[in-house]
Amino acid sequence: MARVILGVSALYHDAAAALLIDGKVVAAAQEERFTRLKHDPSLPVRAAGWCLHHAGLRAEDVDQLVFYEKPLRKFERILTTSVAAFPRSALSFPRQMKSWLGDKLWTRNRLVEAFGLPSAKIGFSEHHLSHAASAFYSSPFERAAVLVADGVGEWATTSIWRGGPEGLTPLAEVRWPHSLGLVYSALTAFLGFAVNEGEYKVMGMAAWGQPRYLEQLHQIAKLTPGGGFTLDLDVFSHHWHPTRASTDKLAALLGPPRAPGSPIALLEPGADAGARAEGQRHADIAASTQRWLEDALLHVVRHAHALSGEDALCLAGGVALNAVANHRLAAEGPFAHLFVQPAAGDAGGALGAAQWAAHAVFGQPRPAGPFRCDLGPEIDVGHARQLADDLGFPHDEVSGEDQLAAGVAADLLAGRAVGFVQGRAELGPRALGHRSILADPRGAGTAERVNRQIKLREPFRPFAPSARAADMGLFALPPAAADLAPYMVIASPAADQLRSEAPAVVHVDGTARPQAVDPGREPLYHGVLDAMHAATGLGVALNTSFNLKGEPLVGSATDALATLARSALDAVWIGPLRIGRPSARALGE
Amino acid sequence: MNEPLPTPGRMESLLTRMGTAGALLLMLGRGKRPWMLPLVIVLLALGLVMVFLQSVQYVAPFIYMVF
Amino acid sequence: MGQLRKVWIGLTGRFAWRFRAAHLLRAFSRTEQGSALDMFAACEATPRRELRRKYFRHALDEWRHAGVFKARARAVGGRSATETGVDEAGVIVEHGIIGGRTLFERLGERDFLAFVYVAEADAVEQFEVYAARGLPDPDTQAALSVILKDELFHVTYSKHELERLTGAPPTTGTAAVVGAEARAAVRRIRWSRLKEGWLRLSLDIGHLMTSLWLTLLYALLIPPFRLLARLEPAGWQAPSADPRPLRLRLQSEA
Repeated sequence: MARVILGVSALYHDAAAALLIDGKVVAAAQEERFTRLKHDPSLPVRAAGWCLHHAGLRAEDVDQLVFYEKPLRKFERILTTSVAAFPRSALSFPRQMKSWLGDKLWTRNRLVEAFGLPSAKIGFSEHHLSHAASAFYSSPFERAAVLVADGVGEWATTSIWRGGPEGLTPLAEVRWPHSLGLVYSALTAFLGFAVNEGEYKVMGMAAWGQPRYLEQLHQIAKLTPGGGFTLDLDVFSHHWHPTRASTDKLAALLGPPRAPGSPIALLEPGADAGARAEGQRHADIAASTQRWLEDALLHVVRHAHALSGEDALCLAGGVALNAVANHRLAAEGPFAHLFVQPAAGDAGGALGAAQWAAHAVFGQPRPAGPFRCDLGPEIDVGHARQLADDLGFPHDEVSGEDQLAAGVAADLLAGRAVGFVQGRAELGPRALGHRSILADPRGAGTAERVNRQIKLREPFRPFAPSARAADMGLFALPPAAADLAPYMVIASPAADQLRSEAPAVVHVDGTARPQAVDPGREPLYHGVLDAMHAATGLGVALNTSFNLKGEPLVGSATDALATLARSALDAVWIGPLRIGRPSARALGE
Repeated sequence: MNEPLPTPGRMESLLTRMGTAGALLLMLGRGKRPWMLPLVIVLLALGLVMVFLQSVQYVAPFIYMVF
Repeated sequence: MGQLRKVWIGLTGRFAWRFRAAHLLRAFSRTEQGSALDMFAACEATPRRELRRKYFRHALDEWRHAGVFKARARAVGGRSATETGVDEAGVIVEHGIIGGRTLFERLGERDFLAFVYVAEADAVEQFEVYAARGLPDPDTQAALSVILKDELFHVTYSKHELERLTGAPPTTGTAAVVGAEARAAVRRIRWSRLKEGWLRLSLDIGHLMTSLWLTLLYALLIPPFRLLARLEPAGWQAPSADPRPLRLRLQSEA
């Protein structure tokens, strides 16, 4: 009898479900793609329902549900922290206790009710163990050290593991409130961006500044001998304040924080000198934060190397999504091979929880072959055609992959930006040619147009390129990062040819965050790049996620058409179906 | 696929909750913070009210705030 | 009933627009965003092809309105950092999804149409009261009047389609709903919205009470334990040994 395991992450952010049958990942999806609420933390009933439906199973066929962390240990941490921070925790205590005593403490009940399973079938992994498993069991390595770094799970904020045929062995951990991820988040909030969302913006902004405040940051978040680190708990306040992650002492060191939503003068042509200087200071703080994180990660990774004695390293946890830091780890770190779980955030926790149970607890063999992110739902072309008809969107259709690839390439070469919806949706934050917006990266105007008219996001954020695997010489990926090429998780220096020919996908500091498109794994997307190469000599596309600012990646055909209608996008390809912009009349305007 | 699932009986649900409370007390008793036990027992008693409050799931579609 | 509501909106409006204008506009924006989600979901799910275009157009209207309200909130100013943070992150709570099921799925087509009709008619009434009283300022008033026109369309189409769906001769304009089934659906929705309003109010009171209790508890009970509580030291620690066999560890939430 096949063993069916359902992994679930939920109740904080990025709820997801992952379905494993006999150790093989059959399906995985994030709840936000169904509910359309970005980072939706609610129990992933929709995502799990889809996973089961996809596999032709019903709830009662599930042998084991695994929740991605241990709620009671988390409660212990929160209560201990509240008590230790008396009386400063006066505001956070009632808030936390209400949500815990009324809800999160009873996660087992919630799971029983939401998924219709008996309590005996419900199990619990640990937060960092789930992340570690998601990285190690998805990696190509037989044995490896694993580093998990995020905000916090139960107690651990940073942990080192050894993975091998015997399972995952914990080697060491740093505990709350000392956390690399929360330092980055505190500075993200200080720079006026939303925590758990604005970290990418800090990383993008960093390239515009100089790390002038690095010394100050090293004072308040010290790297200690022995590979550890310690936070100044008078400066950081995540352990007691209900909403703020730092105290006024941070402003004393760095100057006043940036007000959320205020214009970023860095790139505004009309800004006056004062606003410009202020924008530069913010960029310098971002650069310092980024550099501090890189220094800290290198410090920690060297410890992981000494402790484990392994030569390969797997990374997971939200911090592992920092593509710039990943480059430094690969280029300067002690490990010969690196793997990063592309769904390194909590959505990947659902996957890892199930993988841990399957491989470590039930001893099922690891599947062979490289990890694929396209584990989510597919959009039915027939339904999309019907919708386009009903809503009055013009559409036509090609037959065969060659024609499809040629058609998409022709759109791109004509200067159009198109939605590219092909096959199953990706798990995790990166669009890898399944739910992407594509454009021709040649010409400096492209990036700005896609940013301002389509994605409606800040102009200082960079775009990423997809390139044919054969053209990866355009990027100076360190040898240790060979296994990372397909996932857009590392930002490396771009070659001169790319800088001069495709400035839209090169950041201001000369780096790019590429996706290598392999002809065997992604034949269609590779075909598009091949056609572009034949026409221009450059097999590279600008690839950004298919969504508008503040929204999750498109999930349904309606989402795709709604995004088309609300942006300056020129067309959407859903499978072989090309849907063009609707007339104003069709939209009732 | 989006039909609501049968909800477990009240008795079963209460037993599950008691199991969780027991696991929590056991964990604290055996861990390095046994002093938290009395505090947690008081909090669990209060939790009964809060379970009711939090169990009512409501949403507010199409409602414009008045003040 | 309707008259009473108008008086209430007028009274609260005067206060709210004076002291909490940005707050109100932001709340409107979130409501519109949530409604757009509900309408897009209906567009995806409805088996009635002729309704798709209306739902889709309605969703686009709501989405556009959300942007207008957000821009007005920004212009009016006076927002707190936390609230702006929420706006920036795009968190929406004013939507109809419960337990993964959308408003459309929970209500079905007929009651969904009745819901849209009732909700939009309420909104129209609310905005008309503001317009009659010249609230709040000329710029916002201008934005509201454009939005009001869209909302009127939402009222008429949802009523028309509800009547058609229930086999009554469909009416146009702002005439009263006809047909026994359609009227029953509207009554049902009005009643359930009223009940939900009370539920929300009592839950708010309940939450307030528990917050007070917990604060009291915090002040009385926590101080002695304060002496015992220690945060974990910084730096690398040995992981706590767990002697349980893996299967037992898996079963436990601790």
